[in-house]
Amino acid sequence: MEHLFIDQYSGLDSIIHRLDPRTKIVTLIIFVIFIVLTPPTYFLQFLLYFVVIGGLILLSKVPFIFVFRRVLAVMPFVIVIGLFIPFIKEGEIAGAYSLGNIKLNVTYSGLIIFWNICIKAFLTVMCLTLLTSTTSFPFFLKGLEKLWVPGIFIMVLSFMYRYLFVSIDELMRMKHAKDSRTIKPKRLFEIKTLANMLGSLFIRSYERGESVYLAMCSRGFNGSIKTLDNSSFGYKDAIFSVGLTSILVLIRLTGIL
Amino acid sequence: MHIPDGFLAANTWIPAWILSIGGLGFCIKKAQEALKEKLIPLMGVVAAFIFAAQMLNFPVAGATSGHLLGGVLAVVLLGPYGGAIVIAIVLVIQCLVFQDGGVTTLGANIFNMSIIGSMGGYYLYNVIRKRIDGDRGILIGTAIAAWLSVVAASAFCAVELAISGTSPLHIALPAMALVHMLIGIGEAIISVLVVSFVLKTRSDLIYNKEEL
Repeated sequence: MEHLFIDQYSGLDSIIHRLDPRTKIVTLIIFVIFIVLTPPTYFLQFLLYFVVIGGLILLSKVPFIFVFRRVLAVMPFVIVIGLFIPFIKEGEIAGAYSLGNIKLNVTYSGLIIFWNICIKAFLTVMCLTLLTSTTSFPFFLKGLEKLWVPGIFIMVLSFMYRYLFVSIDELMRMKHAKDSRTIKPKRLFEIKTLANMLGSLFIRSYERGESVYLAMCSRGFNGSIKTLDNSSFGYKDAIFSVGLTSILVLIRLTGIL
Repeated sequence: MHIPDGFLAANTWIPAWILSIGGLGFCIKKAQEALKEKLIPLMGVVAAFIFAAQMLNFPVAGATSGHLLGGVLAVVLLGPYGGAIVIAIVLVIQCLVFQDGGVTTLGANIFNMSIIGSMGGYYLYNVIRKRIDGDRGILIGTAIAAWLSVVAASAFCAVELAISGTSPLHIALPAMALVHMLIGIGEAIISVLVVSFVLKTRSDLIYNKEEL
């Protein structure tokens, strides 16, 4: 079976794709921190951030519609937590509505908090989508490893990445087998069957983990994995990281001046 | 329950990062003592299992469906430390690959779901299964711990949002807790069914079963 969901578009070729993973990870996380720490009323700065990140996405040739879909994915959380904030925050009233007997007051401070979380969630998801859709996952891990993320964490992550597709395939095969044998199952039966599928998937995964470990031992595994390393930090990376960071500092300064 | 970037202020996400890095470091140290280098392939493959399991939708009341979160399931099978590491790994992947939860808030998400939800859930499960004999104790413990872990994680999430000044506690806490009390029922049912399947087929895989 084919799986395209994990690092879709990372196979494209563009200036952004060719950068060293470390450059992208560090600069885009700095970007995220800049966005998160900007006070909510600096509307011009958010507009400028949007222009910068939009420009980078344009450079990377990742389709906008894909980024937009990723942004929409945070909406459920925004609705559950955010939507009632403008109505319950106390302060100067911006507008009052009555629905039957219920009186709703919208306050300025509430609206600002709502704007704050929406715009920040929106812009940071754009940053992270750019990061993951321009870097293939193994390179991404390589980058994290060189940024002093503990090796044990990287190794577990790379194992997970390798076996993720195997597990999903196995689960989908079981589901197809079940679906082709049951027509309109009763709910309780359905839940029980699905749970048994998960149980057997767990046992298979566990046994696979053990046999992978034995196979690794017989090939001389001693707790660390060595791989070829062909990424390098070149002048393009230096220009990108210094350039983007100074643009961010300049944007930030517009608020202070 | 995956908090996106921008929902937490720096006075919350920085301490949450420190807490969860400390907690995970402790888990890795403890798990390595028990599993040695076997830890790495085993955690990786089981994390892939939890990830795949979250993609399977179960029919719930009406036409809605829910999926397993797996926090307590992971600790029942792998123990408190291994289970917490697996859940943290899944959260990292969800954040980095699917933008499900933010980068600055990742620390808080790991704290809520991995440290509180999974590791905390294990201690509750362990207390219950020691009081009740046999497999019934394991199943009842799993059910209660699974339900409470979901509710507790959502309550911590509400407290963090309140500390950040995003939403006041008296609104966020009941709203989050009520929604997750319902989600928790599904979680408890699925976890119990999966654990009972493992008990029937390979009961040696239940963590520390011989201790009883």
